[in-house]
Amino acid sequence: MVRGLSKRFGGLRAVQEFSVSVEEGQTVALIGPNGAGKTTCFNLITGYYRPDAGSVVAFGHELVGLHPYHVCARGLARTFQVARPFGKMTVLANVMTGALLRDKKLPIARERARGAIEFVGLSAREHSLASELTTMDQRRLEMARALATAPRLLLLDEAMAGLNPAEIDQAVALIRHLSRRGLTIVIVEHVMRAIMAVAQRIVVLDHGQKIAEGGPAEIASNPEVIRAYLGSGYAHA
Amino acid sequence: MALGLLALPQVVSNSFAIDILVRVFLFAFIGVAWNLLGGYAKQLSLGHAAYFGLGAYTSTLLLIRLGVSPWIGIVAGGVVAMVASLPIGALCFRLRGPYFAIATIGTAQTLMLLFLKFRDFAWGAVGTTIPNLGNSPLMMQFTAKAAYYYIALLLLAIGLAVTYWVERSWMGYYLVAVGEDQDAAEAVGVNVPRIKRDIYVISAFLTGLAGTFYVQYIYFIDPNTAFSFNVSVNAALVSIVGGIGTVWGPVVGTIALEPTSALVQSWLGGGRHPGVQLTLYAVILIAVILWQPTGLLGALAGAYKRLVRDAPGIPGAAAAARHAPPADE
Ligand SMILES: Nc1ncnc2c1ncn2[C@@H]1O[C@H](COP(=O)(O)OP(=O)(O)O)[C@@H](O)[C@H]1O
Ligand SMILES: [Mg+2]
Repeated sequence: MVRGLSKRFGGLRAVQEFSVSVEEGQTVALIGPNGAGKTTCFNLITGYYRPDAGSVVAFGHELVGLHPYHVCARGLARTFQVARPFGKMTVLANVMTGALLRDKKLPIARERARGAIEFVGLSAREHSLASELTTMDQRRLEMARALATAPRLLLLDEAMAGLNPAEIDQAVALIRHLSRRGLTIVIVEHVMRAIMAVAQRIVVLDHGQKIAEGGPAEIASNPEVIRAYLGSGYAHA
Repeated sequence: MALGLLALPQVVSNSFAIDILVRVFLFAFIGVAWNLLGGYAKQLSLGHAAYFGLGAYTSTLLLIRLGVSPWIGIVAGGVVAMVASLPIGALCFRLRGPYFAIATIGTAQTLMLLFLKFRDFAWGAVGTTIPNLGNSPLMMQFTAKAAYYYIALLLLAIGLAVTYWVERSWMGYYLVAVGEDQDAAEAVGVNVPRIKRDIYVISAFLTGLAGTFYVQYIYFIDPNTAFSFNVSVNAALVSIVGGIGTVWGPVVGTIALEPTSALVQSWLGGGRHPGVQLTLYAVILIAVILWQPTGLLGALAGAYKRLVRDAPGIPGAAAAARHAPPADE
């Protein structure tokens, strides 16, 4: 649950008085034009930036003031808008690094990692170096690495950017599968077709402010959302 | 190979050759200590002389002021280095990349200046010789060079064993992750400040041991020797040339560089042109970073891979060349 979150960069108000509450088990999409403040929200929630005001409470704990690694230990895992794999490590070693959060024994971490790798469909590339993967596979890896930390809430920042339509379908299936397993998911996405397929609720951000919130159908017909965002969003979806 | 190394001093009686080997082991050991932090976590310290010097001064002060055996002094030196690394690390790790490197240079230089000022307590700029007790194994003094050879070899073996253990534990994964991308590492729960601190403490401890051994070997200490920038540069250089973030890289690098550096020194007539040697080091370093960032080990593994490219089913050859912790099946 996020309340009154605000962040300025110099004179720029990147996020203003942002509040949202996500129910456990839900998949919520955070949408809005480029520069709306979506990634900044993720960075505020996960401890990369310290908010100027506001609070973030998850699973009964206040997260503001925690370091990113402590936020992750509390059960919130994130991916980055531009995938950031450990390039010189193998796929398995990348994901094991995430799994080691919950257990420092390598054989156990390896088993967990294998499970996550299989889940995202990357088993065939287990021993490849992360830097040698395609964009789609790097995003899969990023997701597997996050899943290996055994999160309760997953924050996905544009996990489908740069994917072709077939790959988007695979990603959608993956996210739905995670959701069915009970994971709470917050997803930032531009591909409206994908959002409509996975999100139970949509939150629209513009110039750092929440301008709308509701079910997919409601949002798709909201005139303000169409004016601020969907006009162009639909065009490339 | 191990047996050969153990038997060597019995066969080779040439003390010049033994001396070179002692230096190779010692510099490789310092490189190994540096590599834990600099190689795996890619925190390029250029201030490891701080810990070398602290180790050297701790055991020497204990020996001369209190008559404590350097065998105890060497451990005490390691512990002092370890303790000193905590505040130094807390300070320097606030910085990233080149700023971190520059800050570490500053800490070693500051310690050197301090010890230049400690005239009564630590002999100031003049330094001191270690009182020669003849053959006194309990005081880490030997008439036979072979004894120093075995101690240096043991130190190197300890350093390699620690590295081997770190690489094959969760720490190895965390360190390489930190070296690759600190923000991404934090995102998956790696407590980056803590792992950096922990490995820095281990690295400092080992470097402190090297300091004590070195004074006992050359029977002399002064701030310019103990906190020499050359020690810091050499530690980084041998690791980078040999293969950063690998168990054996610093050893390979030292074997490749030490004879070269001895040659260069004799060309230039000893320490009369210290700038030239540093310049040469800088040139080598830039060349390696530009053309062969995986070092000599990487080059060897690359050549091996090209050689066997047509033979399928040799996994690991390529992986061995790289910094990833092994998939250890
Ligand atoms: N670290 C930063 N320093 C300064 N400005 C930033 C920083 N991060 C983001 N911004 C600015 O904040 C605004 C919101 O950015 P962002 O959250 O990345 O938007 P979105 O993810 O919705 O595209 C943009 O104008 C961006 O330039
Ligand atoms: Mg963004």
